[in-house]
Amino acid sequence: MALPNRTAKAVFPSVADRAFGFVGATAALLSFGLFAWIVWDLARLGLPQISWAYLTGEVQDAGRSGGIGPLLVSTLLILVCCLGLVIPLGTGCALWLSEFVRRGSLAARLVTGGVDLLASVPSIVFGLFGMVFFGQTLRMGFSIVSGGLTLACMILPILVRTTLSALEALPADLRPASAGLGLTRTTAIVKILLPAALPGIVVGITLGIGRALSETAALIFTSGYSIRWPESLDDSGRALSVHIYDLALNVANGSTMASASALVLLALILVVNSAAVALSEHWLRRRHATL
Amino acid sequence: MNSPGISKQNESEAPPGGGGTTRSKVCLSVSSLSVHYRDFTAVSDISLDMPAGEITALVGPSGCGKSSFLHSLNRLTDLVPGCRVTGSIRLSDGTEVTHPKTDVLALRRRIGIVFQRPNPFPQSIRRNFDIPLKEHGWRKRDIADRMESALREVGLWNEVSDRLHKSAIALSGGQQQRLCIARALALEPETILFDEPCSALDPIASGVVEDLIHSLRGKLTVVIVTHNLAQARRIADRAAVFWVREGVGTMVEQGPCERVFTAPSDPDAALYLSGARG
Repeated sequence: MALPNRTAKAVFPSVADRAFGFVGATAALLSFGLFAWIVWDLARLGLPQISWAYLTGEVQDAGRSGGIGPLLVSTLLILVCCLGLVIPLGTGCALWLSEFVRRGSLAARLVTGGVDLLASVPSIVFGLFGMVFFGQTLRMGFSIVSGGLTLACMILPILVRTTLSALEALPADLRPASAGLGLTRTTAIVKILLPAALPGIVVGITLGIGRALSETAALIFTSGYSIRWPESLDDSGRALSVHIYDLALNVANGSTMASASALVLLALILVVNSAAVALSEHWLRRRHATL
Repeated sequence: MNSPGISKQNESEAPPGGGGTTRSKVCLSVSSLSVHYRDFTAVSDISLDMPAGEITALVGPSGCGKSSFLHSLNRLTDLVPGCRVTGSIRLSDGTEVTHPKTDVLALRRRIGIVFQRPNPFPQSIRRNFDIPLKEHGWRKRDIADRMESALREVGLWNEVSDRLHKSAIALSGGQQQRLCIARALALEPETILFDEPCSALDPIASGVVEDLIHSLRGKLTVVIVTHNLAQARRIADRAAVFWVREGVGTMVEQGPCERVFTAPSDPDAALYLSGARG
């Protein structure tokens, strides 16, 4: 028996449907093409420069030669400082909004409104704020900790928003279930709601890390330019993104090395993202473990 | 965290009698109870005694305040913003449930609740028992035994004993509901409130849960809200019919189950119970 003809015409008999499908496919292709082009362009210039010596070596000749070892260390330390502040702050804020105040109350609207406004503040403004507040008022100067805390303020809205929606997406009956067993609010939050919302919170942290790793403007005035190996969190340390900016803008013939650094940064973000996705998938799988 | 309150392990679950035949002791005595949500009165002026060791069924059409009434019995109404409860609910030891100084957490240990939709925590089966038992002061070495006997009581032990570390939400709906009942039983409550416990389950699972609730008779006090009149008649010792009068939920009939079903005095209740209305 002959099978029906499953051409596009047979599956989508309407001309409008087929046209719509074509437009959609083109848009998808362009979007992917953009990503592929950027990667290819960076790889073409940068890949030949990358070696173990480049990843671990010190910066030489303003970055035209040598490596990026100290910068990688500074970048990761800045990230650690940033996450150390933003995770408790963001989670705490989202928990308060979701579990302790009534939705739509004045306090809740003020806080969410403020956090949302924070999300639309340009990063250079965070840089200037960080320089004045952390650098001068709190006397941290140009330092890794100052840069990390500035980044924390910047990505706070991302974390609050994703954690809040993760908490709000939880089954509503977990709360009466906990209360019905005579559990305190604290137990319900710490042992039931937070673990259940963890995959969503991880997504928020991942997005935040991506944003933090690629940030330049907020770091120039806070963690500074130093290319030495950082010895403590009080030292100034140049982030990878600042290095790329500097090579591309201030160093003649720096664009090849800028591409190499950008490629490393891209890889770093990809690694962090896939690690976070793998982690939250692992948790989800464990939770829905089939019997 | 909190002090687990008064009676716990020692003064255990079973009211006197044990066989379920004693009518002497009243476990929950409600008088002139009303539940308000801001300006709206959900249920008004309920007076009802729930005898220890018996099953009391609350029936009536939707929106007549049965669930509001049920949730007020262990102060779950506290969770609803703007909800206010007036009147009196007295436990057998004289505790006044509605009193603001009552230890609500200890109260909810004594009066457990099982909801319409099974709501196990999205964690392992074992954690579903660990968390509440630890909270109420059970010692670590007693928790496993307590969990096992509760799971045996609901007939789930043989089905899950080899997968206690697996997720509770991977169980079937009926198993989840029995898990929730076991979780409530594990805390050795005096009373369990059931809020339409079978209406989200398929007929077979529903039958299993119904038999389970029936088997609790004599061991502890049961208050069950159900839309299934036949079910109420099968399992309950006493029944109360709720109805909406002038926009307010109220109780129109109560008494021994057979009497309520065969010779109701209220005309609305009579029509409802005969299946002609509601």
